[in-house]
Amino acid sequence: MKRFVLLILPAAVPTALVLGAAVTMGVAQSMGLTPVAGGPQSSLDAYSAVASSGELAPAVVISLSIALVATAIAIAVGFTTALAMTTTRFGSKVLKGLAISTIPIPHVIGAAAIGLLLADSGWLARLFGSTAGNWPQFVAGPWWAATIIEYAWKESAFIALVVAATLSRDADELAKTAAVLGAGPAARMRYVTMPLATPALILAGTLSFVYALGSFEVPWLLGRAYPEPLPVLAYRLFTSTDLEVRPQAFAVSMVTMAIALVIGVSALRLFRRQVVTA
Amino acid sequence: MRSRRPRRRLSNAGLGLVALAVAIIVASATLAPVAFAAPTPQASAWANIERTARGQTVSLWMWGGDPQGNAYVDNVLTAAAAKLGVTLARVPIADTKDALNRVLAEHQAGRTDGSVDLIWVNGDNFRTGVQAGIWKCGWADALPNIAYTAPGDPLLASDFGTPVRGCESPWHKAQFTFAYNAARVANPPTTMPALMTWVREHPGRFTYPAPPDFTGSVFMREALYATSGGYANVPASFTQSAYDRLTPALWTTLKRLRPALWRAGQTYPKDSTQLDQLFASGQVDFTMTYGPATLTALVAKGTFPRTTKVLTLKEGTVGNASFLAIPTTSAHFAAAQVVANLALSPEQQAIKADPRAWGQFTVLDVKHLPPAQAQAFANLPKSNVVPTYPVLARHANPELSASWIPKLDDGWRRQVLTGGE
Amino acid sequence: MNRRTTRAAVTATATQWLLSAWFLLPMIPVMLWAVARTWPAPLPLPSDWGFSGFLDALHDSATSAFGASLILGTLTAVLATPAGAMAAYALAYGHLRGHRSLSVLLIAPAFVPPFVIVMGLNVTLLRLHVPSLAGISLVLMVTAIPYTTFVMRSAFAGYDVTVEDEARMLGASTRAVLTRVRLPLLAPALATSAFLAFLVGWSDYIVTLLIGGGQFVTVPIRIAAAASGTGNEPVIAALSITAAAPPLLLLVTVGLLSRQRRRRRASANPVTHTPAYLTASGALR
Repeated sequence: MKRFVLLILPAAVPTALVLGAAVTMGVAQSMGLTPVAGGPQSSLDAYSAVASSGELAPAVVISLSIALVATAIAIAVGFTTALAMTTTRFGSKVLKGLAISTIPIPHVIGAAAIGLLLADSGWLARLFGSTAGNWPQFVAGPWWAATIIEYAWKESAFIALVVAATLSRDADELAKTAAVLGAGPAARMRYVTMPLATPALILAGTLSFVYALGSFEVPWLLGRAYPEPLPVLAYRLFTSTDLEVRPQAFAVSMVTMAIALVIGVSALRLFRRQVVTA
Repeated sequence: MRSRRPRRRLSNAGLGLVALAVAIIVASATLAPVAFAAPTPQASAWANIERTARGQTVSLWMWGGDPQGNAYVDNVLTAAAAKLGVTLARVPIADTKDALNRVLAEHQAGRTDGSVDLIWVNGDNFRTGVQAGIWKCGWADALPNIAYTAPGDPLLASDFGTPVRGCESPWHKAQFTFAYNAARVANPPTTMPALMTWVREHPGRFTYPAPPDFTGSVFMREALYATSGGYANVPASFTQSAYDRLTPALWTTLKRLRPALWRAGQTYPKDSTQLDQLFASGQVDFTMTYGPATLTALVAKGTFPRTTKVLTLKEGTVGNASFLAIPTTSAHFAAAQVVANLALSPEQQAIKADPRAWGQFTVLDVKHLPPAQAQAFANLPKSNVVPTYPVLARHANPELSASWIPKLDDGWRRQVLTGGE
Repeated sequence: MNRRTTRAAVTATATQWLLSAWFLLPMIPVMLWAVARTWPAPLPLPSDWGFSGFLDALHDSATSAFGASLILGTLTAVLATPAGAMAAYALAYGHLRGHRSLSVLLIAPAFVPPFVIVMGLNVTLLRLHVPSLAGISLVLMVTAIPYTTFVMRSAFAGYDVTVEDEARMLGASTRAVLTRVRLPLLAPALATSAFLAFLVGWSDYIVTLLIGGGQFVTVPIRIAAAASGTGNEPVIAALSITAAAPPLLLLVTVGLLSRQRRRRRASANPVTHTPAYLTASGALR
């Protein structure tokens, strides 16, 4: 028992320290306890200021929508890819290779790449000989298309690999058994593949969702000036030359974290239930 | 299993509490106000400073988006500093605000051995630093090479209305500049109101970066001068009454301009880089910059069309200077001063002004330089894109005080970006 | 072959090609820009080819950026892999009290956006005079721990402990069981988790920027600085390819090595059969 406690400490202690200190300091700064200039005071002014500025609510809506749509596409594409990877030769060689190569590309580079591909002067627009104003507004457009596509692209590879790893272990034999027992393709999908894949889809999908919710580089590079997603709003307030709005940056950051944690923890519960019932 | 549940839950809570307690103790230890007094160095002779500087390393944080500027610092300035025994390390950043942020954090933490020794800075970033008390002051007036600048040069005495007071040493002069594609704009407008008319007559061919982007913010101030009937009508320092009196016309003008902008003003480029990309790809016919120095190279590289021309306005545009500042958190004060002085030397200023090197306009008073050094400036090759500084700076408008800037940026976001008709 | 199966085969092939295009397409313009000297709009291909992007990157001290990235990636892997492996082991076999809250704690960093951690922690680390390398390593390690712990928990979930008992019965010492049985069998999972941890350090931007204090000018920092200027596409593309290459090489090497091992051993073990990424079911139970 003692040995096991010792073994978990190298991971648990740094994690507890970093998260604990980051949250404590985040709350303290959002409440004006450690101002850059002037004396400390305790208040929730920053929260009410950022809420009443009319920028927080749109930011929450935009962030959640981007993350939701991107994750939905990533799950659909990722799951299809995983199926192809585990059932076909082409999938297990070419598709797997392509998906794996997508994983190590940092999101900031992914965003730059999507920009070079989809912008008004991007490669596709040039290939199709689109003249000014005719190209769909992927980048900086009202539907956040480029941002969503970037997340969907990177995360679909991640989801595909996670799901494929799960399926490759058991699905093949179970599916064969089911086929022998007379199950058609639809029944095999419903009673064998889906139950096996669901926990992995939930977990990988949640990780993707939370990432899309909290990351700054992609919407910053590919998004539009207004309305801003939560991380972009927080960063703009954080780097504002008006020192008075810094507590608001921390308020936005705390709101983002609360949303991400609620979603993460509920997904974990769902995941556990799935694993137990599977 | 079920019977063990309550116990486990209890110990869960206990564990969580311990973790939280530890975290809070650590965090609150760091919350305690740290009293610190920056040791004000005694006015020492320059030779002393140079001696102290030997062997020190200076971290110069500067915007890293201009390859020519990076190459100048890495190859020319660093080598010259090495001759004085100072190692110069350039830290490339995507935005000067990142450097400011770093110093503010170090200042909050009471550090005096910080990682930033010099920042290329001006305007509202400088003012924010003054407000937070993070600049070392009084040193820049004492640099030997400050003698080559014109005494009382208004651009060097105050930085966007904030008195410089020796808290930063001048590096470049710049002039806000519009550039246009002569192949598409046959008869370019020559005044700000005429430019606005041109925009309305050519829908979709013009836009500006969204403030608080630096360049978009300058464009808005140019527009404010135009809608106020000239810069003389806008008080340099911010007052609420002036804001209330002058900005309604500005917001009306910019809102009327909106439908004629790129993408019907539904969105804006987020910064000057995105505007430059639109210009480079022929989607708009104008771009604008506070650093015309880069235009020559961008045309030479083929990024901008060969027909790129600089637009000089009859009423002039705003001009500014940019500086090198030393934060109080720096542990290499002497070496940072040595580098700032070096950057101000006629030799370095002349090399840096060469469009093949960087093309940044000098802050020195070239007319009163010793003949040999003045010759270096006279020998500089001419750019075929960018006129000389005296041409650009004719009728130069003064910048508004930096206290205007956040107010205008915020007003723009409320009135023009998100506001209705 | 009847018509229905033909149509199904066509659909399947079309899907596979579409999926391949989906993964490949975004990187094509990057590759083109990396070998373009000039590429003015609206040309669909560069007008002038060359390696100026790579050369400019090299002149702009890309090698030192490369080194800095390598240091951060390696440090993160070295710290987070054993920590994650030991934690996973303890969670798998330790029957610890507070098992569930520990599980949640170790996965929590994946649910807290990095900018939240960094903004909150920056001043604290500075006050405590934590050297910047230690500060970055700490935060990157914590960011990587959910992934390493998770991979190793999946590995332990599929790990057959009876193999160790058999080895012991055959007279193997505790040390021999560890070095000759457990580590080799877990090696693919360890490699996967080290690789993921390496990626966290290698591709990080915001932690290096804010906590690093300019002492670690990594490849992502260079890319962001270059991306903030105009006309730098060749340099950005060259740096991007440089940034994506080493992890890919690492991946290929690890893949080849583990395939070789597998061939050599030819022993059917569930752990060696699933080296790729995260085998999700069974973890976090």
